[in-house]
Amino acid sequence: MITVKNLSFSYGSKRVLNDINLELKGGNIYGLLGENGVGKTTLLTLLCGLKKPKTGSIDTDGRNPFDRQPSLLSEQFYLPDEVAPMRSTAIRFGQEHGKLWPAFDFEKYLTILKEFEVDPDQLMDSMSAGQLKKSWISFALACNARHYFMDEPTNGLDIPSKSQFRKAITKYTSEESAVVISTHQVRDLEEIIDPIIILDKEAVLLNASLKTISDKLYFDYGTALRPGSLYLEQTPSGAIQVYPNTSGEESKVNLEALFNAVHSHKDVIKALFQQPYEK
Amino acid sequence: MKSEVFSGQRFWTYFKYDLTQMWRNHMKAAIVIGLAGLIFYIVGVAFNATFNHVWQAPGFKGRFIVFILSAVVLQLYQARTYGYLTDRRKGAAWLMIPASAFEKWLSMTIITLIVIPVAFLGTYAAVDGILSLADPTYGKVLLTFASQGLKEMNEALQEANTEYNTTWNLKLFVLPLLVSHCFNYLYFLLCGITFKRHKILWAILLVFGFSIVWSTLATFLGINYSIEINDLVEAEVFARQSLKWTTAVCAVVSLVLAYGIYYRIKTLKH
Repeated sequence: MITVKNLSFSYGSKRVLNDINLELKGGNIYGLLGENGVGKTTLLTLLCGLKKPKTGSIDTDGRNPFDRQPSLLSEQFYLPDEVAPMRSTAIRFGQEHGKLWPAFDFEKYLTILKEFEVDPDQLMDSMSAGQLKKSWISFALACNARHYFMDEPTNGLDIPSKSQFRKAITKYTSEESAVVISTHQVRDLEEIIDPIIILDKEAVLLNASLKTISDKLYFDYGTALRPGSLYLEQTPSGAIQVYPNTSGEESKVNLEALFNAVHSHKDVIKALFQQPYEK
Repeated sequence: MKSEVFSGQRFWTYFKYDLTQMWRNHMKAAIVIGLAGLIFYIVGVAFNATFNHVWQAPGFKGRFIVFILSAVVLQLYQARTYGYLTDRRKGAAWLMIPASAFEKWLSMTIITLIVIPVAFLGTYAAVDGILSLADPTYGKVLLTFASQGLKEMNEALQEANTEYNTTWNLKLFVLPLLVSHCFNYLYFLLCGITFKRHKILWAILLVFGFSIVWSTLATFLGINYSIEINDLVEAEVFARQSLKWTTAVCAVVSLVLAYGIYYRIKTLKH
């Protein structure tokens, strides 16, 4: 389990994260959403130990990620938005790089590469951005890590690959894995991410499971417009409206509508949702 | 349970990986630097054949200068070998490799201080030897000249020892040479993993800066010290003390540089 307590971070005098509290449990695929520049990538890099918190702490299974202990590094994988173009073929990359992760499964790597339709004999530094990303995703999943931190993993992927990514992430991560995916492409991933974490400037606006969200908010896809909705969006087939769920009815959560509702009514949302981690 | 600081098995796995990556990423540069003697030979023979209409290999002086230049270029190149650590994509991927900071540092240090220079000298000597055997106009190998030079230097020292009743020998210079080797390579390595851009340029500029400060300081100390030198015995003591202290300072600075590299690895952020 990953526990974040009172985490703050700033770039020089520019504060990015302020007093963040989170608990990330295994067996979940967390969707980390937020506007540009709110600190999603910063939070991911802090979680995996690429940055050091200014104040507060991160505890990953009893260890501090910034210590970058080999035992923790072998149990986690960080996939950045822009992955490194390695000077080797995908197959050789797997053979050489994979030896460094004790739980790496080479056969699994080849299987995922095949499912992503990546040529394993192609040089990685001559691959398209999408092919390169798929190679790294295949490698990451073959590492059999306990914690995954993925920054915009579907950026640069074509439509079939996005679908393949969704299948792969559910098929090839273990039940104990905690996967944190930062994304703007909510439609690409809304079928797999749960719970949802929405970051605002310096703070967590929402951290809740889809079930909780559905309990607290009602997503109306009908044509009749209701006054007092937290968010309203006209669509060709009618409208999407979000309002507090007073009737207890279940509805399918629309992540884009949720995101917009949260951002336009921060105080209402905060009052509706209880933060899972209490200081 | 494996140690979080050092595990022999993990280090060996990482070291082999590091060596492979080093070769793959810097193969072309390594070949050009290692084969500088061959390139110079080809250019020299082609020049002589074209303009002098004779088959004549370049002379010893030219070959020696090319060797020295290659060795200098190799040292400067250390600022590039691990320069990718400051690159956001490659550096982040490297930091996330499951090996401890100490293991990464040790591998980096062994490769920089031992593997690269030995590979360079081995390649250079092999090419030099092959050319010497293949082309009668090439002359003796550089190693022969080097051993001959050392022999002559040793004889000169022995003569001086007899004349001035001193005890100088070549062994006294082995440690200073080794320390100086470590100092130079570690310095460029640290610059390479510290500066994000223009790594070699910054490294050279800093050398100039340090040189100015050091030479000013040394001159100041030397002038003050030389006043007290009254005879050759005192001069000899001064020379020995200078060598000892320069070596000691160089060794301390090398240790500081080595620690600086470790600290940089340990605290590097992306």
